[in-house]
Amino acid sequence: MEKRVGSGIVKMNHKLELRKVSKRFNTEEGKMEALEGINLEVKPNEFLCVIGPSGCGKTTLLRLIAGLDHPSSGAIILDGKEVKGPSPDRGMVFQEFSLFPWRTVLKNVEFGLEIKGMKEKARRKIAERYIELVGLRGFENCYPYELSGGMKQRVAIARALATDPAILLMDEPFGSVDAQTRNILQEELLEIWKRTKKTILFVTHSVDEAVYLADRVAVMSARPGCLIKCLGIDIPRPRKRTSREVNEFREQLLMLLSLERSKACISV
Amino acid sequence: MRENEGLKFLKRRGIIETIGICTVIVIWQLVASFIVKKTYLLPSPYEVFFAFYTVREVIPVDIYISLLHFSIGLAAGATVGITIGALMGGFKLIDRAMDPIMEILRAIPPIAWIPFAIIWLKLTHYSAGFVVFVGAIFPILINTYTGFKSVDKIYIDAAKVLGCKKGMSLIKSVVLPYSLPYIAAGTRIGMGIGWMCVVAAEMFGASGRVGLGWRLWNRFYALHMMDKLVAYMIVIGLIALLLDRIFRYLVEEKSLKWRKGLVAV
Repeated sequence: MEKRVGSGIVKMNHKLELRKVSKRFNTEEGKMEALEGINLEVKPNEFLCVIGPSGCGKTTLLRLIAGLDHPSSGAIILDGKEVKGPSPDRGMVFQEFSLFPWRTVLKNVEFGLEIKGMKEKARRKIAERYIELVGLRGFENCYPYELSGGMKQRVAIARALATDPAILLMDEPFGSVDAQTRNILQEELLEIWKRTKKTILFVTHSVDEAVYLADRVAVMSARPGCLIKCLGIDIPRPRKRTSREVNEFREQLLMLLSLERSKACISV
Repeated sequence: MRENEGLKFLKRRGIIETIGICTVIVIWQLVASFIVKKTYLLPSPYEVFFAFYTVREVIPVDIYISLLHFSIGLAAGATVGITIGALMGGFKLIDRAMDPIMEILRAIPPIAWIPFAIIWLKLTHYSAGFVVFVGAIFPILINTYTGFKSVDKIYIDAAKVLGCKKGMSLIKSVVLPYSLPYIAAGTRIGMGIGWMCVVAAEMFGASGRVGLGWRLWNRFYALHMMDKLVAYMIVIGLIALLLDRIFRYLVEEKSLKWRKGLVAV
């Protein structure tokens, strides 16, 4: 594997595979099935969006892949090795703001490299490159409280990328920023994706977001969450948010989702 | 228009504060000179002012000794308090084992330890230091514990995903920096209590015939030199104020700058 971030010349072939992954939680009312028999293959360099009704276990799925939780059965395999716990080869951007408030932007991005034991000079160089990549040059010495929501998530992306993960997991990262900022961040993310050639697994509840970003959209059912359909989106980029093809995909996804929602209502 | 300008003048920094202090001094002087009229019941500001002059040679020595006692106790209290607080915050079993012991010990006023301080440590600086230690340790311990307990899970998750394995590196990189504001707040409270303990311990002569507290009680009070006694009271108060301000400046302004967005400093 060779990489030169920022220059755009990257070769990577990481493959993520989920085999019959299920997750049960023990709650007070007994066992709760969160995920059931998820089979999914994320291709190298793919941008995959996972979409589903709220409470369907999208976040749980991502936490399992990140290694923050363990599946009750089944296996998650990255590059032929089973995922046993968290590791910097799976970067994650959380839905909530997760920057360490006591660290500056630079120090936040350096965090993973620092843990690795990298020397200060080397890690600063890398961190600066990623800060530049997310367009925050000049903000290196700011503390998170000085940044807007969108800027915080950009730093979070830079921080997740700095350790050069095989795959980037994103859990509704733009859910808490305003609509206009979200559109800008989506465009920037595609640009970052193009330049770093990462595999991205992006969880969202927004159909618009999924259709705008993804190569492929995986649709999940209501609880217990299982994959009901994978939809390839072959519209060339840059996509126009209001074009006819985009709208057709939106329509398809919305139908699938409303079907799921109505099923959920019946079962309740 | 004129009234407005007068109001503006009053609102300027320091003006109304100075007026407040001066008013209190004037009232104090009037009450002392015209109503009480007995120095040993209420020395007047004028007398206290001259008392400062007569004790000018012993004040620096006493301040130095008391600060020494204070530093010994605070350093020990912070070291032990942070360590135990961190252990209790980090490990459930230690928490359960230590909690009842700490709760009982905490309920004993530090001053009740003076006899043992003297017996164990003799009439040394350490014995007043020990009383300060007992006074300062609990707020530091409890705040460290609270800080360790209240770390947001999101930061732990984020650190894990970035390669932090469980245990020491997680504590060093996330839990400790997160807890620093709590530890700082605990230390500040501990300093306040510790300073009271210095005076009390010295009054009892825990460290022999030295310190602000010892002179205040065994010299000035014993000889009913109330003007000098009030002068020492003021010194003791001013030092506490100064210590607090220095601490706030060093810690909150310098090291905890990142908190500005989270709480109003």
